[in-house]
Amino acid sequence: MRKYFHIFKISFEEELAYKWNFILWRFRNVLQIFLTYFLWSTVYSDPTRQIFGYDRTEILTYVFGIMIVRALVLSAKAMSVGNDVASGDLSNYLVKPMNYFKYWMTRDIASKALNLIFASVEFAVLFIILKPPFFFQKDFGVILAFLVSIILAMLIYFLILFLLGSIPFWVPEIGWGSHFLVTVVIVEALSGSLFPINILPEVLQSIILATPFPYLIYFPVQVYLGNITGWALFGGLLIAISWVGVLWTFLNVVWQKGLKVYQSFGG
Amino acid sequence: MDRAIVVDNLVKKFEVTEKAPGLTGSIKSLISPKKKIITALRGISFAVQPGELVGFIGPNGAGKTTTLKILSGLLYPTEGFVGVMEFDPWKRNPEFLKQISLVMGQKNQLWWDLPAIETFELNRAIYEIPTRTYSENLKELVELLGIGKLLNTPVRKLSLGQRMRMELTAALLHKPKVLFLDEPTIGLDIIAQQKIRDFIYEYNTKYGATILLTSHNMDDLTNLARRVIIINDGRILYDGAFEELITKFAKEKLIKARLSNENNISDLERIGKIKKLSFPEVVLSVPRSAAAVAASELLQNFPVDDLTIEEIPIEEVIRKAFKGGSGK
Repeated sequence: MRKYFHIFKISFEEELAYKWNFILWRFRNVLQIFLTYFLWSTVYSDPTRQIFGYDRTEILTYVFGIMIVRALVLSAKAMSVGNDVASGDLSNYLVKPMNYFKYWMTRDIASKALNLIFASVEFAVLFIILKPPFFFQKDFGVILAFLVSIILAMLIYFLILFLLGSIPFWVPEIGWGSHFLVTVVIVEALSGSLFPINILPEVLQSIILATPFPYLIYFPVQVYLGNITGWALFGGLLIAISWVGVLWTFLNVVWQKGLKVYQSFGG
Repeated sequence: MDRAIVVDNLVKKFEVTEKAPGLTGSIKSLISPKKKIITALRGISFAVQPGELVGFIGPNGAGKTTTLKILSGLLYPTEGFVGVMEFDPWKRNPEFLKQISLVMGQKNQLWWDLPAIETFELNRAIYEIPTRTYSENLKELVELLGIGKLLNTPVRKLSLGQRMRMELTAALLHKPKVLFLDEPTIGLDIIAQQKIRDFIYEYNTKYGATILLTSHNMDDLTNLARRVIIINDGRILYDGAFEELITKFAKEKLIKARLSNENNISDLERIGKIKKLSFPEVVLSVPRSAAAVAASELLQNFPVDDLTIEEIPIEEVIRKAFKGGSGK
């Protein structure tokens, strides 16, 4: 267990090693929040205006909510797995008495923890400056459900990234392309990151809800807002858990096959 | 445990996708990729006793690195038996992994942006080395390798030679019983190479670790490996004492010199057999025992800008020993 604590520590250090890089990254985040806020405030300059059933308060809460959830769920170090596999750097890890999955999970958690600390500070500061109409959840049960859905979202994304990272075992060249396709295009569109899923026609909604993607952003945010409760909430969490199970099993199979085919390039 | 490493009729095949050159080739390989099976190892067998230092030598592509990777559990054997300290490397049992180390000249395990000491601490945690043991091991390695002052420098700021010494330290902190070194001196200058070789020798003598070292450079073996295994095109051509190999098939050394003017160039024949002459480069072949004398004669009587004494290339040793060597 101590070895993973150490990996956590060294991950932290590595991110902070490049001071300026880090500062610019935080600056970019803050800028993004400002821009998004002003964009939506302008669209909803008339506070009573409703678009797709969302009014100003609701959309701003959704937007800020997405930002926090994104910071937690989508900031993941595990995107480097594909690189490790394609370049042969994976060999360095396989030769050590350490679980490769746990290694990346620890690095992910370290990255998210760092992200969370800074994002909280920035959120607090911006909140004081902009005073957006944000909805604060007070129901403890809802908050608990929200935390559970976030953890499940993080696990799902981790597993998806790892699966993408396994593609280079067979096709080293498409590593970056497939990664881009899934994380930038598919995830952005289907996770609720760009817009709430429920503004889409019913048929489309059902299709999307059958994939794991909406459980990354859309589902946790809606849970927080208190829009999904009771049986729907319970059912949703169950589906998310099932996705974790399915992806985990699939990953194990793929990974075992991948290792057999692994050619360990370079060196 | 009587044998540290046992390999019996090991075969390894790879499936690779062939791509013809150019844009047409790229498009073709997208639509109907042509797969080819490459046999990297064609049934090799050998055994290594605990504490032995064995040099594994052969031309590029011979199968040396593939063998090391199979022995350390990275690659899956296609056929045959492999046992290292009575473990099956492929199972990657943590107990097995704690006792081995693989150092590849071309691959870094050190975290690039942080000082090497951070990677050492990380390895301490990964290999579960008790604090006291870790401090002692670190101290010994730092002394042997002379890296005390560099411990807190970010790795990216180190020279290749310094980095290699750090890599070795990181790989040896857990005092592995079996050490696999893949081309550890590659890319290093002559002085750095010798330092690394000296270190490997001392480490083997002091700690009795079993060491398997690969190289395509015969210089890596002189004064280092008593036993050498020559591998070429996936087959073992020779497995025996280094001395014997040298006396039989590498009776000569090469003197490579760079001359500053062409005067008396034909007189070079007096010093040794001219293997190559294209001004300003000249390569002479001289009997092993006379190499030093010949070199000094060359320096005294000719306008030499630069001079090195080298072993003959392994390819030539193989050619001499096995008349073509590929044994097809």
